[in-house]
Amino acid sequence: MKNLLKKEILLTMHPTAILFLFLSALLIVPNYPYYVTFFYTGLAVFFTCLNGRENNDVFYTMTLPVAKKDIVKARFILIIILELLQMLIAVPFAFIRQNIGLPGNAVGMDANIAFFGFSFILLGIFNVVFFGIYYKDVKKVGKPFAVSSVVIFVYICIAEICAHIVPFVRDCLDTSDNMYVTEKLVVLIEGIIIYAVMTAIIYKKSRRNFEVYDI
Amino acid sequence: MNVLEVKNLCKNYRDFSLKNVSFSLKPGEITGFIGRNGAGKTTTLKSLLNFVHPTDGEVKFFDKSFADNEFDIKQRIAFLLGGVNYYLNKKLKIITNVTKSFYQNWDNKTYEQYMRQFNLDENKTPFQLSEGMKVKYSLTLALSHNAELLILDEPTSGLDPVSRDEILEILMNLADKGITVLFSTHITSDLEKCADNIIYIKNGEIIAKDNIDSFTDSYKVIEFEENSISEDLKNKIIGLKRAKKGYTGLIKGENKPLFNCACTDATLEDIMVHIEKDEL
Repeated sequence: MKNLLKKEILLTMHPTAILFLFLSALLIVPNYPYYVTFFYTGLAVFFTCLNGRENNDVFYTMTLPVAKKDIVKARFILIIILELLQMLIAVPFAFIRQNIGLPGNAVGMDANIAFFGFSFILLGIFNVVFFGIYYKDVKKVGKPFAVSSVVIFVYICIAEICAHIVPFVRDCLDTSDNMYVTEKLVVLIEGIIIYAVMTAIIYKKSRRNFEVYDI
Repeated sequence: MNVLEVKNLCKNYRDFSLKNVSFSLKPGEITGFIGRNGAGKTTTLKSLLNFVHPTDGEVKFFDKSFADNEFDIKQRIAFLLGGVNYYLNKKLKIITNVTKSFYQNWDNKTYEQYMRQFNLDENKTPFQLSEGMKVKYSLTLALSHNAELLILDEPTSGLDPVSRDEILEILMNLADKGITVLFSTHITSDLEKCADNIIYIKNGEIIAKDNIDSFTDSYKVIEFEENSISEDLKNKIIGLKRAKKGYTGLIKGENKPLFNCACTDATLEDIMVHIEKDEL
């Protein structure tokens, strides 16, 4: 697995995947739909899979002494690392944004603890939609990205609208982190669990789909 | 011991099927796998390594089932689809660095020796290499992990005659060292120069597997003017077709005395062209 991860990082991962990680800094912008930051993570996944397709990655990897299921495992580990790094790098910027004395985000959700919970759900949904389609036919990268982008767009719209019109989200979750910490922590933990469960399920399904896929 | 043994390999697609493909390879021999485009050469090769899932059949490398020993077998073989056709914009040294970490038997000395012998520069990318050099780099990677069997899909297609000849010479030298080569191509003249055996696939079925000399010796090519051959004899001709002057056809060697016309030895190309023509 170490070798496959090395292959993923040195050959397959698109360089923009690293650049997009730094877009976590968008959380410092005073007014911005902060969820969009995690759309860029999806874009990095898309570019990486596209880079793989354009470079005959599956053929190359299949000639190596590796099991087919491990090819999927390595890709998922890389993607999970990227997603978690995106979150991790975003934390200090969210902290700074909350403490520079400006009013809350006028566009939608504040970059607070609950926001990270909702963002985990966003990434979980992305993984399910993108990899659910991608591993049925790894030659078609555009379709999973198009469908997952639409789904993510709808999710972001709903999440941001809720921050304006649903009283619990607006008055409790979309607030500064010195208020309603327990409620926000519950959302964060639930978000992490949903992300983990969704990713685990789609990982298993992807392994099955790729196993029967003819290259 | 058979280096590779394939029994009754089948694969069904909607518009194409591999039908009971069976053959075996002996150590140190070069076997040409011929057939026209779309005959099933690449599908067969991909089925050997489970790139494509066979509907039925058994594949054994070194007397071990591929399904149960995939990891060990892949350590001992190399599958080259033409030259290096992956990560064309990465430097060779990065591709090598990644590739070598997968092989237990990787030998850096052998790698450096072949890189020097083939004049390959590690700081170049595959994109900067000629087609011939791409094949040489693929071979270098294969030989550096001490592959005992090379499965090459169209390694000489798109190469100029000099480069093709160079690759064939390399393959013959490797066979002398005991390395087995299975070499799919539709450039039949390449096989006449280097192969010991041929396997001929047509419409997903193996129609011949033989020593290359016995196979070509068993056919003759005849040339004749229009109306100079009786209708009865025409039935013994395989793939009658127009030639520059008159007609040509393929006949079985044993039928040669029946024909009173110009008769020459058949090349692999003659045999293939006429056999494929016969279907039409």
